[in-house]
This record gives sequence, structure tokens and C-alpha cells, in this order.
Amino acid sequence: MLFNVMKRMLDYIESGMRMGASKSEVAKMVEEGVGAMRREIENAISLAATLGARRVRENASLLTCSYSRVVKMLFSRLKSEGKRVRAFVTESRPGGEGIRLAQELSEMGIETELIVDSSVRHFMKEMDMVVTGAEAIAANGAVVNKVGTSLIALAANEARVRTFVLTTTHKFSAETIFGELVKLPVMRDVSLLPGLEKRRDLNVCYPLFDVTPPRYVDAIITEKGVVAPEAVILLVRELHGWPTEVHDLISRLEKLVEVVGG
Amino acid sequence: MKASPKVLKIAQLIRDMRVRGAGRIARAAAYAMKVAALEYQGSSLDDYLTYMRHSAQILTSTRPTAVSLHNAVRYVMNKVRRASSCEEGVEIAVKAADNFIDSSLNAVRIIGEIGSRLIEDGDTVLTHCNSSAALSIIKTAYRKGKNIVAYATETRPKFQGLLSYRELVDAGVPTTLIPDSAVRYFIRDVDKVVVGADTVTANGAVVNKIGTSLIALAAYEAGVKLYVATETYKFSPATILGELVEIEERGAEEVLPTYTLLKLTNLKVRNPAFDVTPPEYIDAIITERGIIPPKAAALILLEDYGTEVAEELTKVTIDLEESTPLYSTD
Repeated sequence: MLFNVMKRMLDYIESGMRMGASKSEVAKMVEEGVGAMRREIENAISLAATLGARRVRENASLLTCSYSRVVKMLFSRLKSEGKRVRAFVTESRPGGEGIRLAQELSEMGIETELIVDSSVRHFMKEMDMVVTGAEAIAANGAVVNKVGTSLIALAANEARVRTFVLTTTHKFSAETIFGELVKLPVMRDVSLLPGLEKRRDLNVCYPLFDVTPPRYVDAIITEKGVVAPEAVILLVRELHGWPTEVHDLISRLEKLVEVVGG
Repeated sequence: MKASPKVLKIAQLIRDMRVRGAGRIARAAAYAMKVAALEYQGSSLDDYLTYMRHSAQILTSTRPTAVSLHNAVRYVMNKVRRASSCEEGVEIAVKAADNFIDSSLNAVRIIGEIGSRLIEDGDTVLTHCNSSAALSIIKTAYRKGKNIVAYATETRPKFQGLLSYRELVDAGVPTTLIPDSAVRYFIRDVDKVVVGADTVTANGAVVNKIGTSLIALAAYEAGVKLYVATETYKFSPATILGELVEIEERGAEEVLPTYTLLKLTNLKVRNPAFDVTPPEYIDAIITERGIIPPKAAALILLEDYGTEVAEELTKVTIDLEESTPLYSTD
């Protein structure tokens, strides 16, 4: 996402410079560009949530993890449409983002149940669907999201509960078409782990994300519609052209610095 | 009929999970039965038996899912029932409790010995929660010179994984603590999963700490072997008669601070302590009597409780008047 936004900003700067605009003019263009992109993302989130809400039945129990703005928007859509649903939210260690989402959903008036991450298989039989957000979507439709997502999708698949990923096309990673692996950061600093801060001598390995294979995802819902994860490549083509041009952001940045002079 | 304050104290420790782990709970309960016998003040046999039954009931009510607790208490009571005098009853209870505790500790050692043979040099082993039987296997394998490393899951909400982590590190096993949510992320690096059990049912399903069944599913998906290490007194005879194992749900405050919960009326916390792993995901159950395939659990149950089960079956009456006819006679 950061990558895709940066790319757009560089586009603005480069086209501004080609037109021979002054530094302040370029800055203004970028500022406008940022505003436009922000609106575009907000609209995309809203549209994806609206499409997602159509897939939810009255009185359904939905399981989610971590904190996704699209998922939160989905629940507020359901609320405003008057569809009664129940939300099950995992606490989502190590970050605990699920606790925040559970609080916000309950404040919104949604019946919410917070559960520990390990209990998803225990509760899966009670669920009607799983909804999660995404950190990035790879070319093959694999979903990179908060660690634990792939376990939830696996348990849902076993129980024949459908899994939907709600996101916007800004999260598509075009680079993965050329074999680039999505890098997954790992946390090894105990002092950052809630509940374990004081146990300095522990050897820990806390990945922040994991990869859910496309076969466990029933559909990816974006502002462009509901598609099978394997069809994401069609949307990538529409967005970035085909064959997709991969941008080397760093070299573009360096070139800019040279021209502008630091 | 008043129970001894010492027995009540042990019951409280079990309820509050200050004593935890199915094996330790069972030994604590057997010890409590011994204490109960020694603390008895009267001299009538009938009164003594009522008193012991009362103590037994207090102890078994502390944790509904832990069959080991019931079986430990049942073991002592079955012997006590045969006493012909009050003094003999006390003596029998003390001996039975000591016996149970000894054989329980011995069982953990034997399980460690047998199970360690399944661990190969260079293996990466993953364990969940804090099971003495499971850890006995990993530690014994390491002690025998097998070069192994371990992953311990933190095991929310009570972080029992930290106890396993310490125990393994103290035994010299290089160990890494990981969050419960990352099991699928790591499972490809794992060769074997070794977990304990709280209850084993007649069809070979294993009731164990919440999260076990999710780990088993991830292991199964990745083709990683999963072993359950358990003493045979954790097999539940009631399940052969169709009874379900009750899954204990514990308080919300174990997951979220109470002040957060009070603020939010729509927010609830569901905190089941256990889940059920189906036998299909278990490669073997390692007991002190040897390794059995999970679906052969009834073998152990019928060997240990065969007569009791048969007796119970004779008590099952079918009311012909009330039962729905299988076919209509009209």
C-alpha cells in the first residue's frame, strides 16, 4: 500500500517536472494529489464494505481478527441497514489490535464477543462467515495479513465456513508478479510484547503477518467487485497495465534528488 | 458434615488454577483425600464414609473437564468403600492416595522414556501449554543426547507456555516462545508436535488446553506428526456410556481487565479453557502402558473400567411405554 501510494506521488512529481513547473508548484500538485488519493481510498473502503454487506445474512455470526478499517466499515454498514449480526473478534496477539476493534464494534452497538486467538477452531462451528482485511495481496491471490489469519482461514475451510477478504485495490502488490516475495517482519524484542514486557531474558519469535493461500479464501471483495483470489491478476492488469511495469522506486527517487538538487 | 479446612484449601488452589495441569491436579486431589482421611475426627464407619464422599464431591466440583481429578478421587473412594472399620478406612485412604501419587509420577517418567524414542536427532518439536507428560518426552529425548530444539506457544490467556519455556530451557533445550496465532507460520519448521491431554474420550478424541485442536489441524495440513502424551487415568469412562465432556468456560477477567468490560455493555468475552481434537489429527497417544492409536482408546477404558461399564449398562432402562415405536402397528 505504502509502495502504491509512493508510486502515485512520484508520478505527480515527475509529470510536474516534465511540464517545467517550479518547486512550489510541484509541491502544490503533490498536496492536491495526496488529498485526491485519500478521498479515493475512503471511497474505495466504503464501496468495498457496501459490496461485502450484501454477502451477509441477517443474524449471521462473523469472525474477524486484528483491526481492518474495511471490516469496521462493513459492520457499520450492516448496522445502518438494520441487519442484526454478531461479531466474534480474536484479540490478535502480539499487537492486540482485535481488542481495539472489539471495543469499537461494541460501542457501535454490535453484539461483540472477544476470544483468544487459539480458540478459533473451537468457535468455528458457530460461525456463518469469516471476514478479514488484508495487508497486501500477491499476484497469485495469496493474502498477507495479521499473523493468525491463515490459521483462521484453515479452520474455516475445514468447517466449510466461507472466508472473505475485504480490501481495496491499493493493497495489490504488482511486484509479486515478477517473483518478488512479500517481506514479513518478525518481532524479537520482548519489551514490545503486551503481558511479557518484564521478562527480558526470553527468546521469542513473533511474526506480525502470515500468508493465507488463495485456496482458503472464497472471495476478495474490493471497490472493483467481488472476485476469486485467483482472479486478482485481472484487476492488477486493469490497474497497472499488462505486461505490468514494475517501478524501481528507489532509483526514481534518486533521479529526482539529482534533478532537484537535494 | 463439615470438610476439613485443609481439604477446602486444596480445592480452592485447584479451582483458582494455582495447581494446574491434569496430572498435577490429580495428584493434588489424591493428596487431599489422604489429608481428609487423616483429619477425620469421629469413629463411626458410616459417618467416615459420608465424610469422605462429601470431601470427594468438593474436590471433583472444582474443575468440571478434568477427568484425571475424578479418576484420582474415584481410585481412592473405590478402595475406601471396602473398609470394615473406621480406622481401616483411614489407613486404606492414605495407602491408596500414596499409591496413586507414586504411580502417577512414575507414569510421567515411563511416558518420557517411551515417547523419547519417537523423537529423532535434529528434530524441532512444538508443544502447547504446560504438560508434564509432554515435557517429559522432550526432556528425556534431549537427555539421551538427541540434538533437538523446541517451540513453546505462549498459551493465552494464562501464559502457561512460559512455564514450559522455562522448564525446557532449564533442561538445556534451545527453546523459542511464539504466539498462539503463529503456529501455521512456523509449522513447516516443525517435525513433531507433542501435547498433553486433560481428558481422552472413548472414541479417541482428546480434550486439552484451548488451541490444541487448531495446532493439530495445522500440523495435519502440513503433514507434521502430532503425539498426545497422557497417563491412562485421563481416559474418561463416562464417555463410553455416551456422556459428553463438559468444556469449562472461565472468567472474562483472564482475557481483559474488568474495568474495560464494565465500560462496554455490548462486549463479552468467551473464554473456553479446552477444546476437542478429533482422533483423525492424532498420530498416537503415548501412555505409561505403551503407544496406542487414538481410536483404540476404548481398549484402555474397557481394561480399567470394564466391569463398572457393564454394570452401568444393565442399569440403562428403556421405558417401552414412553419410547417412540420404531414402526407403527396400525
